[in-house]
Amino acid sequence: MSDEAQGRSAGLLHRGSGFLAATTRQTSQRGSERDMNGLTTNRRQALKLMGVLAAPMIIRPRASWAQGKVLNITTYDKFVPQEFIDKFQSDTGIEVRIRLTDDQGKQYNLLTAEGSNPSTDIVTVTGHRLTQFINSNLLAAVDTGRLKNWGNLAPSYKDAPQLTIDGKVWGVPLLAGFEALARNTEYTKASDSWSILFDPEYKSYTSYIISDFLSITMRYLGKDGDYVTYEGKREEAQQATNEARDFLIKHKDMVRKYYDAGSEMQQMFVNEDIYLAQTWSGPTSKLIMDGHPIELSIPKEGTYGFLYSFNVVNNAPNADSAYLFLDAILASPEIGAAMTRQSGFTSTFNGVDKVLNDRERAASTLPEEQIQRIQFFSSVNRDMKNELIDRAVAEIKAA
Amino acid sequence: MNDRDNPARSGGPTGNAPRYSGWIGRLAGSSAYRFSIGMLAQSRAGRLAMLLAVPLLWIVVFHIGPIFQLARISFLQQFPIPAGSSGAYTWANYQIFFADSVYFVPFVRSLIFSACVTLAALVIVYPVAYYVAKVVDPRRRTKALLLLLVPFWAGELIRTFSVIMLLANRGAANVLMRELGLIDRPIPLLYNYFSLSFGVLYLIALFMLLPLYAAIEKIPSHLVDAAADLGAGPLTRFRRIILPLSKDGIVSGCSLVFLTCVGVFASPLLLGGPGTVIFPEIISAFFHGASDKWPVGAAFSMIMLVAALAIAGLFMRIVGGSRSTRFM
Repeated sequence: MSDEAQGRSAGLLHRGSGFLAATTRQTSQRGSERDMNGLTTNRRQALKLMGVLAAPMIIRPRASWAQGKVLNITTYDKFVPQEFIDKFQSDTGIEVRIRLTDDQGKQYNLLTAEGSNPSTDIVTVTGHRLTQFINSNLLAAVDTGRLKNWGNLAPSYKDAPQLTIDGKVWGVPLLAGFEALARNTEYTKASDSWSILFDPEYKSYTSYIISDFLSITMRYLGKDGDYVTYEGKREEAQQATNEARDFLIKHKDMVRKYYDAGSEMQQMFVNEDIYLAQTWSGPTSKLIMDGHPIELSIPKEGTYGFLYSFNVVNNAPNADSAYLFLDAILASPEIGAAMTRQSGFTSTFNGVDKVLNDRERAASTLPEEQIQRIQFFSSVNRDMKNELIDRAVAEIKAA
Repeated sequence: MNDRDNPARSGGPTGNAPRYSGWIGRLAGSSAYRFSIGMLAQSRAGRLAMLLAVPLLWIVVFHIGPIFQLARISFLQQFPIPAGSSGAYTWANYQIFFADSVYFVPFVRSLIFSACVTLAALVIVYPVAYYVAKVVDPRRRTKALLLLLVPFWAGELIRTFSVIMLLANRGAANVLMRELGLIDRPIPLLYNYFSLSFGVLYLIALFMLLPLYAAIEKIPSHLVDAAADLGAGPLTRFRRIILPLSKDGIVSGCSLVFLTCVGVFASPLLLGGPGTVIFPEIISAFFHGASDKWPVGAAFSMIMLVAALAIAGLFMRIVGGSRSTRFM
């Protein structure tokens, strides 16, 4: 309990005692009147009542999220396989409580609001949002020495620059994803360019997440969609954003729907409401794994990638359990494969490709030539990017 | 001898206070409870306070409280307030709305859309309510009403997804038309104003149906019969008798539907398209967009709330007269 909360409790107790004392005085003054009504209260009963009323303030049980054998994780749906959770719980006796999120901002706001008394131990932060969390003192650096399975990560992710800041590692990389072009192979022609999303032949059969596709459109138009090169150059950034915004407004009639969640995009492909979309790789890979005629590719203009990591929360109430969990999840490629199967995103663990079957491997891997086109989102100049993109998104929606 | 007369069987009194099972019974039988209730019951003000305490607490905690909290956030520079700092207050969040037409277009679109849906709901649901209230055999009226209410036993999201299943390119409507040879390619019924209006109408029809039914059901049939005897045609009977006497139901139904429509969020998100973006979607973007500007979202919510209440109040005053606005 925080100092502030303790102070509040003490105040309540004090006020409560005053009230009870007054009640007791009234009780003794009105004794005869009470007896007439059959409402007798003696000193012992008054003391009992005081005890009962004061008990909640005196006992102060530990919060349920801070009990020793509990681990609280905030993560995305289907990121952690249930079989793994069951085994971890039976092996360690630690109860794993998953709190689902679908948005980085929600996690950030939750942790900010909770301050130094977080109710969660592990959060799932993307590489490009890490600095926002670190600057707000919400995360603790990962002590990789406590993770004996740290070596099981693929070499390219072990020292991923997105997770290493000021020489410290701030997260355990789990899954990698990227923005991609998805198309229904039965109704569309193959294309190696984002321009297919503006092809009049597919009018009203395309869909995208506006904020994400605005970055890609900037890249398609030869601008920096990640705003790294616009640091300190607001006018140039505004001009580039406006250009992409106007381009999307001009082609607004091409779009069937602006979507927010991967499941919406999946549903539109399955219902054949759309044939083409800008997507996150994970949900599209899932469609391919399930046998739908969808192809995933990275067009020649390139795209942006992101890395999901598990991060230990600063002042986590169950930090030891968190480290046990992180070490267990890194233990074998089977766990990484299960995470890929569930989420569709690419695992960061060594040897996962050998565990996946042919269809799963085909769905979650791309030719090397296309992989080279991925540029991971940077954490540089995020505030300017967020501000300009948010406004442009509102303008596109309103247009 | 019944249980009430037998203290042993009823767990009845062994002393002054009767004993009951369960914690509520023990609480009700305790001296402290009986003392405090006895004190309150002695005066009229105490009895009134007891009567009002629970509903007032409910309204304050669950209805007014969250709105006040939202209003407070709307004036904050930053929310959530980081630990260890106190929030500074500002008007800037409201100025964003008035300084920029970008947000005004969806705002107006939202109000017009809600007004249109309200009118459509009235036109569609009125005959249904009339049929159930006046035409259906009174013995079967409850069953008819229950049948109409069945879809509303499911949640809002489930009903929204059922609309998607109905209107999608591979949905029931398109499949049926294709099987009947009416179309070769699916008609895009989803993600436009048609699907949005259809879905929202389906969601809010209940709010129109019940007030209309209650109002129409109360209209004495002999008035309509008398008008018919005096030579009034169906249209005149409707215009001169049924419509004026069901005005209370119309005002209540329209107000409920309009206020619900203005705030509806999930359905437009799932059923709307690029050209149907309405204000709640803009507001929600501030709560989970890239910048996470809760205070701006809260300010926009307050603007929407005030505008919707003002319009509903004006409507009640104009259509319903002073009788309808006395509860506002």
